[in-house]
Amino acid sequence: MSEQFSRRDFLKLAGVGAATTAILTGCGPASRYVKREPYMQMPEYNYNGQSTYYATTCRECAAGCGLVVRTIQGRAIKTEGNASNPLNLGKTCARGQATLHGLYNPDRVTDPIKRARGNTAYFNVDWDSATQTVADALKNYKPEEIAFLMGTAPDHLFDFVSDLAAATGINAPVRFGALSMFEARATLSKAAENLFGKAGLPFFDIGGAQVVFSFGSNFLETWLSPVSYTRGFVGLREAKTKKRGYLVQFESRMSQTGGKADEWIPLKPGTEALVALAIGRLALESRGGALPRAFADVDPADAAAKSGVSLETLERLAVMFASTASLAIPGGPSLGRSNGLAVAEAVLALNAVPDNFGKPGGVYLSALAPNETEYHRPASTQEMQEFVQKMADGKFKVLFIHGVNPVFELPRSIDFKAALSGVEQVISFATFPDETALEADYVFPDHHGLESWGYQRVATGSAQPVLSGAQPVVSPFYNTRATIDVLLAAAQLAGGEFATAMPFKDEVEFLHSKLVPLMEETGGSFAAVDINTFAAYFQQHGGWWKLAGALEAPDTADVLNHDLNGEEPEFAEGEFFLVPFVSPTLAEAGANKPWLQELPDPTTTVMWSTWVEINPETAHELGVENEDLVKIVSEFGEIEAAVYKYPAIRPDTIAVPFGQGHTAYGRYAENRGANPADLFGSQMNEAGDLTFAGVKVKIEKTGKKLPIPRLESIMGVYGEALGKEHE
Amino acid sequence: MIKRLFDWLKQPLGLIAVGIGFLAVFSVAAYGLSTTQKAPEQPIQFPHKTHIAFGIQCLYCHPGAAKGPAAGIPSQAKCWACHQQIAKTETSELLAPLKEAVESGTPIQWVPVAQVPDFVHFNHRAHIAAGKNCEECHGDMSKVTIAENPQVFNMGFCLNCHIKSAGEDQAKLNKLADCGTCHY
Repeated sequence: MSEQFSRRDFLKLAGVGAATTAILTGCGPASRYVKREPYMQMPEYNYNGQSTYYATTCRECAAGCGLVVRTIQGRAIKTEGNASNPLNLGKTCARGQATLHGLYNPDRVTDPIKRARGNTAYFNVDWDSATQTVADALKNYKPEEIAFLMGTAPDHLFDFVSDLAAATGINAPVRFGALSMFEARATLSKAAENLFGKAGLPFFDIGGAQVVFSFGSNFLETWLSPVSYTRGFVGLREAKTKKRGYLVQFESRMSQTGGKADEWIPLKPGTEALVALAIGRLALESRGGALPRAFADVDPADAAAKSGVSLETLERLAVMFASTASLAIPGGPSLGRSNGLAVAEAVLALNAVPDNFGKPGGVYLSALAPNETEYHRPASTQEMQEFVQKMADGKFKVLFIHGVNPVFELPRSIDFKAALSGVEQVISFATFPDETALEADYVFPDHHGLESWGYQRVATGSAQPVLSGAQPVVSPFYNTRATIDVLLAAAQLAGGEFATAMPFKDEVEFLHSKLVPLMEETGGSFAAVDINTFAAYFQQHGGWWKLAGALEAPDTADVLNHDLNGEEPEFAEGEFFLVPFVSPTLAEAGANKPWLQELPDPTTTVMWSTWVEINPETAHELGVENEDLVKIVSEFGEIEAAVYKYPAIRPDTIAVPFGQGHTAYGRYAENRGANPADLFGSQMNEAGDLTFAGVKVKIEKTGKKLPIPRLESIMGVYGEALGKEHE
Repeated sequence: MIKRLFDWLKQPLGLIAVGIGFLAVFSVAAYGLSTTQKAPEQPIQFPHKTHIAFGIQCLYCHPGAAKGPAAGIPSQAKCWACHQQIAKTETSELLAPLKEAVESGTPIQWVPVAQVPDFVHFNHRAHIAAGKNCEECHGDMSKVTIAENPQVFNMGFCLNCHIKSAGEDQAKLNKLADCGTCHY
């Protein structure tokens, strides 16, 4: 304080100021009175001031978890898991919780619109002309020129379009999602086909096992059905009825799942198959007896040298694996390389050591969902590439897009945006103004998932076959319309085959038609003799499921008689291995939800940004520090991201999360971070999945700094101290 | 500098200035306080007395009071059930906002008058079940147009009544005067 202005004077003035402010603002009526909107027409089962709960299905990913949404006065307030649903038993992940931020998102597409492609300006059209536009598109083109591209949820819409396609000869709908690309679902399914003679999604009973070896599988994050696998992990860990289970994670960058593991084995990227085979051989040798064909060719010493895991460690792990009820899981970036299929096969075959196939704590094939006759997987990236090529070649004149954002989700090397120029008319049904909707001629917005009818088949994660049911928990807020209703109305206008193809009054009637066959089945969670009662129960319970488990035991007679190869993959040119991983909090479509943006990443605690994880030693050699902006350059593209010195990564590897880097998709997502998919090439593995982890990259300094918000302090656990230690 | 200001304030002219400043602050504060005592502006000048004169019970429009925490504001469908039968609805200026709200399907934004802060878990049902009548807290609605609060709903008001109703019964008093009864 200066001489003229004493501390006492300051306090006096500040006190008078504060009191005046309090008096002038605090007592005003504005701070006291709120406005309340009563219902216009209150449902008779509602009570004033009391919540009403609705069971529905989460649509944030394709897993199909059941939700119970609390609503009050017609507004959705909170989502929780549906305790009756066998898949998630009352739990949700963060994305399920944040689905409300989608519902109330200020950037939703509120009306049907028309725009010049790529132009953010648009004008509103009414639903009559929107329906006419869809009708014209169906009528004026040949059936083979009409294509549907859909997301992995919801299933009822996929079934509707499949039926429509079958009846009218238009192309069968193709489904895709970035999650299924990163999960390498085609690889898993193909490996099951090669080893067990039957394609399907393997199910791993983690909860029943004693020792779990996970080869890069990120089952506690976004993998296949994270809520269900997290519950499995809890079962592995609980030590009430058995010994506490042990998790070993083999991966070159410690993921959230790796962080929970008892042992983290940082092997060289691409050597997963080799290591799995070596462990198989050592395990069987430890027991004695003849070696089967599958493990006969591998040389453990060679595997140890190539992978960077010591032979002693391999031997110790092999003995551990052979001596108890163990389970090996393939997944994550290890499948996204040119030897991905070999990795999946080698790791699946490793389960022959404890012979856990079809047994508790072992490997099964997932049960088919109630109204499903055979396993249907989303398109592999190769199939998507073919689809995009057809677009570019002008084979498709009309493209309908629902529930997927391929401009963002597909790597830039498969240029979806450019291929759109080969399509005459692009009609999107997007709920949010995403990158793909921006490149469409029309956006005829569907309701948000919480405003929608539907169902989702549970593809994996539950022993019981489950059909999760969805119903609107609130009335639609905006001038949106259910896509099935739009298509039904348009089909009537289009006339001809279309008019008779789908004889339904509306979406709900179509939904009921799909539930009718379930009424015949026995052993279900409820039964009814007429469809209205059945459908009412379906809404009330949030779906229908079989009471008995129906996991399939794979046919494993031949598993160890295959030649399995432990070859290392080819990598595109570069200096560092790139491990892209799906952000456990954002995944592919969470970036427009502030709750998820604000949720710290589980391993780094970074929020709202894209970072690149670099080993402190490597960072020191490169001369970069935390928050230095660096350019990551691959053969196929480049991105910029801020450095995060991460000790739990191999020095020859860097990692970048996928989920940010949107150029559209609303105010919270736009122009934030970078998309590592820009670095991917377009090479596929043998099963047709993208080799997203098969690129090597160079790192260039930019000389700029980019502060990244993070929860832990920069001085914290890994920060300065570690940097100095290495100087 | 600040010392000179204080010196000046001690002069007669300065004292007058201080007085004027104090008066200004005081009158604005008094005005602010007075507005909190007035019923807020409502979208419709709803005449409670007219409706009660017709013999309509409180619980007909506010049935939530008997069933749960909130008495509730009636939906406009409920208003309209009677008003569509009443010829005056078509002609009256005062009823025009109701007609417009129903026809355009926009909710009427009422301003609740009787409120307690968020840290109080008030439940109407318990009070109705204990045999309290609405007017004991809300006053005689047959005399007012827009609802007014006959008293401030503060803790003293609640506690007086709680203690009185407990009477000599110590067990009841413990229950009714316990903090956790309302603040949980």
